[in-house]
Amino acid sequence: MDILQVVFSGLLVGMVYALLGLGVVLVFKASEAFNFAVGEFLVVGAFLFFILFFDLRFPLLIALPAGLLAAGCFGALVEKLTIQPLLGRNPISMTIITLGLASLLRASVQLVFGAHSYPFVIDLPDITLELGDMLFLSEQLWASILSGLAFGLVILFLFKTRWGVAIRATSESQAKAMAYGINARVILLVVWALSGICIAIAGIMISNFGSLTYLTAMVGFRAIPVVLVGGMDSIGGALVGGLIVGLCEAFVGAYLEPMGLIGFKNIAPYILLLIVLLVRPYGLFGTIRIERV
Amino acid sequence: MKTRSHIFIGILTAAITVLAPPTWGREIKVLSQFPMSGPVGTLPEFGMGYIDGMNWINSEGGGVNGKKITFFLEDFRYDPTVEVANFNKYCAEHSREEFLMATGYITGGLKPLIEKVNVEEKIPWLDGSYSTEIFGVEGGPSKYPYYYSLGATYGDQIKVLMKWIKENHKVSGKPRVAMVYSPTAWGKDGLPEGLDYANKLGLEVVAQIEYPYTATDATNESMALRKAKAQYVIYHGYSGATSHTAIFFKTAKKVLKDVQLMGTHYTTGRFPILVCQESYDGYVGVATRPFVDAVPRSQTPMTNPMVKMAHEFAKKYRPNDYAEEGKIKDMFLYMEGLTYALILQEALTRADKAGNLTREGIKKALDEMVWDFKGLFDGKKFDYRFHTVPMVQVFKAQVKMQKVGGKEVPTGAVKPITDWLNVNEIKW
Repeated sequence: MDILQVVFSGLLVGMVYALLGLGVVLVFKASEAFNFAVGEFLVVGAFLFFILFFDLRFPLLIALPAGLLAAGCFGALVEKLTIQPLLGRNPISMTIITLGLASLLRASVQLVFGAHSYPFVIDLPDITLELGDMLFLSEQLWASILSGLAFGLVILFLFKTRWGVAIRATSESQAKAMAYGINARVILLVVWALSGICIAIAGIMISNFGSLTYLTAMVGFRAIPVVLVGGMDSIGGALVGGLIVGLCEAFVGAYLEPMGLIGFKNIAPYILLLIVLLVRPYGLFGTIRIERV
Repeated sequence: MKTRSHIFIGILTAAITVLAPPTWGREIKVLSQFPMSGPVGTLPEFGMGYIDGMNWINSEGGGVNGKKITFFLEDFRYDPTVEVANFNKYCAEHSREEFLMATGYITGGLKPLIEKVNVEEKIPWLDGSYSTEIFGVEGGPSKYPYYYSLGATYGDQIKVLMKWIKENHKVSGKPRVAMVYSPTAWGKDGLPEGLDYANKLGLEVVAQIEYPYTATDATNESMALRKAKAQYVIYHGYSGATSHTAIFFKTAKKVLKDVQLMGTHYTTGRFPILVCQESYDGYVGVATRPFVDAVPRSQTPMTNPMVKMAHEFAKKYRPNDYAEEGKIKDMFLYMEGLTYALILQEALTRADKAGNLTREGIKKALDEMVWDFKGLFDGKKFDYRFHTVPMVQVFKAQVKMQKVGGKEVPTGAVKPITDWLNVNEIKW
């Protein structure tokens, strides 16, 4: 029974990580830039929802979509101001920009919201599941359900809509997509907005486990092993990577930490990442690139 | 004749000015350091209370028998290295005759400063650390003569909780106790003493779990506690203001339905009511200060003189911060800053009255101090012979969610369920 509890707990949290990873993969696929400000996006997204739901006291059914819309607009704004001017340049420049962006956003969040913890309890129906010795808490089940739902909707959007086709085409080759009349600038704007929404959902769910502070951004680091294990440019890889990282944390937390390796579950995904990269340098599902030198 | 008289008086005045004892005209300097930012949260209230207290002391509060205190305040960001570096800097910049006292706030800073404070500088150092290692039986004045703690040690706090369990256990069988502690010097401090005492009382310690600061999930820990069939869980070595505490309480309350959640000083108070909300209801904790700051604040009882003083100060000097949505989230922190200012004034004044306003004179004044701390312990006095303020009280949290503007918000307070206890007088 113990092992089942660990497995399912890992998968539940892993689903949230997968959504976080998806936010990073979308941007990488479209612009080949790694968004190092993922943690700060997570906090900003969660705070935007916080303002609507807890401060302005809108009902959840209004606050959630409105908050996510705001997070999407925030993602688009960031793209417009910082990424778009670099279009056509080396993707490394964009990646470096996100590093600076992370610092700027972290400081801005502290300036506006301070650095203390904000209570974060969303009154969702209690769906806590108790099966014999196993127990799955309502917050984690909701997090997993909503993350899975969001993941599914993004895939539907990408594969079943004209916008999705345009995004995928731009991800394949910006130049070719533009040759076919696709406005790559607008597509990038949409991708960053979509990424902002995915990351914000993950942020809201993670904050609902405990509370929200600027330090919640630390969770963003978990996106790194997720996307590198799964493959930087693979949407399916983000899902698998998220679940693997969730499982890895759960197993280490349940079996290794009690042996005195406290905090080891925070570094275990990175060790796993190193092992995966040694065997498959582009991740489990990443595209193998052959470059002429 | 007149001219000669003038010359004589002039020479005499000049001689007095030049040869006067160094106490004349020298400043009284003190340094205080608080963790106002960093991993335990952002706690500017420490500084607010301290500054307001010091400004009041220097203006209306009588100073040090009329003399003003030059005070320095530093945020060491919960980083012992910063705390040590700041102290070294002030030691280098200010003379021993002027720089008379210092205060700090964590055990991590005390340890590297043992030699510097107790052997080299010999400066009275008051600290927020409740370290059993430094202030308990194995440490204390004989080993660290210049270190003073402003509260009972963690060992004593855990022992008080164990005693409470023993006295209040209503179910048949031995009480089954579990410890959840942070993987820090702070979290591990006092555990051996507490566990030994639990054994002495006949309590069964069924689990000891280290729970990391970086946690995003406490299911494993809570399930382990459930499996161990713990009836009492003591959560020790954490700030009540942080996300990991909220995660633990939210999870534990659901997983461990009939378990009494308990904790030491820093998990008791107002902040956890705000952050953990309903999951904090029923919590029993020990604290070294009157933690009676209610939510909403207007419900706070003003029977304790120091609590009343702190609230009046905050209301007067920082009305916007004092308001419910203001920057003062927890009046304990504000009061803590204020009490530091007041005890510094008290020690300096006593030394000055004794005609020995030096580091040694202040140490003597502290060692001999018997004081009610301006009513902090509801009129009870303590003595500082063991270099700790040995007063503790047990509190219980009462939290209710109430609808305000269509939303559920937490209301309530931690309320005392025992009198103030002097740990030096308890027959363990």
